[in-house]
Amino acid sequence: MDVADLVDTSTGRQSRSIYSSEPVYRQELERVFGRCWLFLAHISQIPQPNDFFRTYMGEDDVIVIRQKDGSVKAFLNTCTHRGNRICRADRGNARSFTCNYHGWSFAPDGALAGVPLENEAYFGELDRSKFGLVPVAQVAEYKGLIFGNFDPAAPSLEDYLGDAKFYLDVWLDALPGGTSLVGETQKMVLNTNWKLPVENVCGDGYHLGWAHAGAMMAVQSMDLSGLSVGNASANLEGGLSVAGLNGHMALTSLDGVSGYAFYPEPKPMLDYLEANRPTAIERLGKLRGEQLWGSQINITIFPNLQFLPGLNWFRVYHPKGPGQIEQWTWAMVENDMPEEIKTTILDNQCLTFGLAGLFDNDDGDNLAACTEQSRGWRTSQMDVYTNMALGRSGAREGFPGDIAAGLVSEHNQRYFYRRWQEHMQASSWSDVPAYNLNSLASREAVDA
Amino acid sequence: MLDVRPQPALHDTVTALTQRLFHEARLLDDERFEEWLELLCEDVSYHMALKSRRFRADRSAPIAVGAGNVFNDNLARLKLRIDRLRSGFVWAEDPPNFVRRVVSNVEVLDADEPNEAVVHSVVVIHRNRIDGQTRLLTAGRTDRWRKGGESWLLAAREIALDHSVLPDSNVNVFF
Ligand code: FES
Ligand SMILES: [Fe+2]
Repeated sequence: MDVADLVDTSTGRQSRSIYSSEPVYRQELERVFGRCWLFLAHISQIPQPNDFFRTYMGEDDVIVIRQKDGSVKAFLNTCTHRGNRICRADRGNARSFTCNYHGWSFAPDGALAGVPLENEAYFGELDRSKFGLVPVAQVAEYKGLIFGNFDPAAPSLEDYLGDAKFYLDVWLDALPGGTSLVGETQKMVLNTNWKLPVENVCGDGYHLGWAHAGAMMAVQSMDLSGLSVGNASANLEGGLSVAGLNGHMALTSLDGVSGYAFYPEPKPMLDYLEANRPTAIERLGKLRGEQLWGSQINITIFPNLQFLPGLNWFRVYHPKGPGQIEQWTWAMVENDMPEEIKTTILDNQCLTFGLAGLFDNDDGDNLAACTEQSRGWRTSQMDVYTNMALGRSGAREGFPGDIAAGLVSEHNQRYFYRRWQEHMQASSWSDVPAYNLNSLASREAVDA
Repeated sequence: MLDVRPQPALHDTVTALTQRLFHEARLLDDERFEEWLELLCEDVSYHMALKSRRFRADRSAPIAVGAGNVFNDNLARLKLRIDRLRSGFVWAEDPPNFVRRVVSNVEVLDADEPNEAVVHSVVVIHRNRIDGQTRLLTAGRTDRWRKGGESWLLAAREIALDHSVLPDSNVNVFF
């Protein structure tokens, strides 16, 4: 398999085999999921010592555990004896995890704490220190988001996120209280390759007016700036497609209110924005505080984390083979919000992008069919295209990244596939290029 | 000791409400949504909570702000869902999926209110989807039905979905 042929970002072409091929998928588990920083949990989901949360890194089952000293550790959720799953619950609080098979028990710090018949059957010769739970090589937090990385040689989380932090902070750091994920995990099986929902949310404003036309007609308040029902028109002013940031992306409107104007009764949300706007401006500066905070923004952290201030959903995609994922969604809130607004957000997120979400329910079948149509003998040899608005991007005053105008473009998707290809071609992190295009730091250096 | 309360309802009521559930299922199978709405009280509450798999002994604090929902609907929201389904733009339902509900384990009990009954039931929704695959969704339901004149109307439905991971790409169906 030559990854160089599978994607051509200069023309916006992908081989369909990247959505169906088993060898491509095995290589993704190694070179994408085995190497990138993957979202594990939000600190709000494990607030107390011994709180745990179960998730996946690629197809590997992982437990994330809050330690007594407040730090966070993550372990492969597998018994070091003969491999059984250690933790069967989705989340909770536990002083120890006892394996169901022969009863080995592990402490929250991963240590093998108890072995039945240790003296009688092992003759006291088992070196317990060699059989603790296997830790995830690197665990780090960025402003409440806990990430893990299987690769000890990976760059730091800070460097990995790079200039994407400029956009991330619009959600994570606008107000002093920070953010939380709320509600139980909303889990759904989709028969899609994992890359298709990512490319959909990272840049595909094109599908909104058509794929979601039914929901847009029913929910009149969902009037996304610059888009219209049935894709009858598109206004490229007032929005940005931002990429070229180590594979991370943002798709944002610029009015500072559109995210919340979606709500059926937007007044309390808009009052909240107005009351807190000065604080946001103080913390983020005028440009972000006025134009981004409160806007609808789609943020993508490569490879599989996406969250949308405004619609207020937060999502990861766990691959289950080339043709299937589990999609996990939560509602997200700012901790400074009054309780009524948090409740409204959770309720509205469930209504729009939950399991029975009026909008979310439109996407699954399209993604599944795109996947299925790449599996045939003939279709697997065909290509698909992300060639809209090629070459129409550049620097934008005050914003890092390579930027195209508007929410309807395939600019971000091309950068997503470029990053995917860079990882798939690199045998180690030392071969993965780092780039933060039009970095504000470098521009200041030039100005100085 | 055997708990004899709450009282099972009288035979006529049991028959009427069982027939009501079967009729309701047929209306929904046939997408006769407007007729289904006529079976609902003005103040209907239609609810399905999210849940997670927890150890029996788990004592961790409840989730802040609440668990969240799959459905948290009043009459207006149910109408909104129906407006969407009726828009002609819901591609996942065109061609129509083959949907059939099996309603069982009907148990009718007297409610505290004299003109109301509590009805437990199980629903299995068979969906043969556009991709040719079949999904089965199973849920338990606890309803409150209210007698309005000669007919029974649904006042509240609490739905317990029996899937920790939804095995389908949408929930364009009512339970
Ligand atoms: S496999 Fe876990 S104790 Fe044996
Ligand atoms: Fe969508």
